[in-house]
Amino acid sequence: MPENPYLNVLVTAALTVVFIIVTSYLLGVLARMVMKARGASLKIQENTFAGYFFAAPWIVGFLIFVVIPLSFSLYWSFTDYRVTSRDPANWIGFENYINLLFKDDSFRSSIVNTLYLTVIGLPLQMAAALFLAVMLNQKMRGERIFRMGFYLPVILGFNTAVLLCWRLMLNTGTGIINQMIRSASLAFPPFGYLNRSLIFIQEITTAFFLGINSGKFSLMTKVLEAGFPAANRVPLWVQSPLWTKMSVILLMVWGCGAMMLIFLAGLNNIPRELHEAAEVDGATSWQRFWRISFPLLTPYIFYNMVVGLISSLQIFEPIFVLYRDNQPIVSSAISMVYYLWQKSFSHFEIGYGSAISWVILVIILIVTVVQFKLQDRWVTYDIY
Amino acid sequence: MKHYWPILKGISLYAILTGSTVLMSFPLFWMISSSLKTLEETNSPGIVWIPAHPTFEAYINIFHNQDFLRAYFNSVFYVTLALAGTLISIAAVAYAFSRIEWPGRDVVFFLMLSTMMIPPQALIVPQYVFFNILNWVGTFNPIIIPGYFAGGAAMIFLLRQAMSQIPKELDESAFVDGANHFQIWWEIILPLIKAPMATVATFLFVGAWNSLLTPLMYLQTIDLYTLPVYVSTLFNINNTVQQWPTIMTAAVLTTIPLIILFFFAQRFILDSIVVSGLKG
Repeated sequence: MPENPYLNVLVTAALTVVFIIVTSYLLGVLARMVMKARGASLKIQENTFAGYFFAAPWIVGFLIFVVIPLSFSLYWSFTDYRVTSRDPANWIGFENYINLLFKDDSFRSSIVNTLYLTVIGLPLQMAAALFLAVMLNQKMRGERIFRMGFYLPVILGFNTAVLLCWRLMLNTGTGIINQMIRSASLAFPPFGYLNRSLIFIQEITTAFFLGINSGKFSLMTKVLEAGFPAANRVPLWVQSPLWTKMSVILLMVWGCGAMMLIFLAGLNNIPRELHEAAEVDGATSWQRFWRISFPLLTPYIFYNMVVGLISSLQIFEPIFVLYRDNQPIVSSAISMVYYLWQKSFSHFEIGYGSAISWVILVIILIVTVVQFKLQDRWVTYDIY
Repeated sequence: MKHYWPILKGISLYAILTGSTVLMSFPLFWMISSSLKTLEETNSPGIVWIPAHPTFEAYINIFHNQDFLRAYFNSVFYVTLALAGTLISIAAVAYAFSRIEWPGRDVVFFLMLSTMMIPPQALIVPQYVFFNILNWVGTFNPIIIPGYFAGGAAMIFLLRQAMSQIPKELDESAFVDGANHFQIWWEIILPLIKAPMATVATFLFVGAWNSLLTPLMYLQTIDLYTLPVYVSTLFNINNTVQQWPTIMTAAVLTTIPLIILFFFAQRFILDSIVVSGLKG
């Protein structure tokens, strides 16, 4: 292999292409032989060869990059394997899982933090997406520009550069967001009261979650003792353990454009006649939304919920960029995947890391299956 | 009063939409504005919307920064190479799932869809060990090569949907004329699905350009860093003063390709999602 990193990867890529073509051809020939042995017609034999030949890149990749790694990590999760040590892995049975589920406080808090982002962040994100979609569905001029504007954050998304810009904007003292809150509260007192009540509600909720984390509710008592926030209080976005998760939720709501497009597709599919008929009967637009649009949108809400839950259970980048190395507060923000990364790549505990990945995998599978089981209770498919 | 209502409603609708658009794109404005500020202005307690005397110092400095320029080149190199292989292999697999009848197709297709539930992070630990055995850690290979095996079930699904809508008679008449599957795929089907291909290419580009976790794990020396990894090192929590103008200049230059791409591809993306109801 050449020393130059660019040449190296070019040569490897070329070899990979050759490898894929050869394995695809072999897989196709193998499939054709099987069909020939079964006495299929020449036409079916040809199609079998072509089908396996074209699908082979995925089939081979699935075996190499999914099936084999998953089996190995299942095995390692029962061992004390560390990538740095020379000793072979020792079989330790369920010890990793027992430690993880019953003794590891950091993992428990990572689950509670992820749960917080899911339970509070996801509904806010979906509400924002639905609101914007309903506004955009009024069919007026310039719709396209607004749509672009709402979708742009999805493209920029969790790019490090954009996250660092948020880090700048969220600075407690000099960040633009708090500066705007301060001047708005000064200029317009009712806004100040709104701001302070929101701060109060937010801090109580988060203190409660942090209390579940640590089993000690001292922070909660502190917040309650401090009482209603003083007039000059601003959110402490990236500074206080009470606010770290709220900043991530802010980012989630900002990126609601992808969900908005799905809702927009759903609203487009609702037959016009339904609304027109209801309007003739004297229904207000509020009633029409809740009685007609909303029930017909439930399949789309369901889709967004499934996809949104999977992605919020896998959240990593914002926490890494905003809080990495920020010792006193990082523990209030770590997500499950961040913890997995920390254990596997800062501490190189492969066995333990594998156990974490399996627990995350099982959690996601359970949540998804439960959602599909529950969908009959509230999702309306009748009209389609 | 009654007939003023529609006008009032229209005005408030536009006000809400414009307000939301301004809020949504505000980070972008703030990034550009901050990159033109001096260090004192970025840390000033008062609001500086637009710097009174914009300075291009940070831009001039960053174009003399070898590490940043190399990271930029690395990102372009990585994204191009990954995109080419991934796009072609995805198009091939989508062809198998939509245009050919073969035994086992439905089983394989269902398997592929169910991999969407596996979080990629659950695979990173064993994959790391695997690449470590191949001696690939510290090279570009682990972040580029896996894509060549048709990485991305959602993208395969999107292209398969697009290919399914092309009439079957087209292939059949080509077969009669003596064409083989490879010719039909490359010369007939692919030219017909340019818009979905553009959508998929955009999603793949954005995904690769933004990706942080795997480059962070495998590119362990600064001369291999891609942009997100390099930019994340500019911000260091242990510094008492962050060099915000420099960081924001790097941020602007990192996001420019994304914005240009989105500007050209938005037509395909916004339409294909609204039609197919699929999220990227």
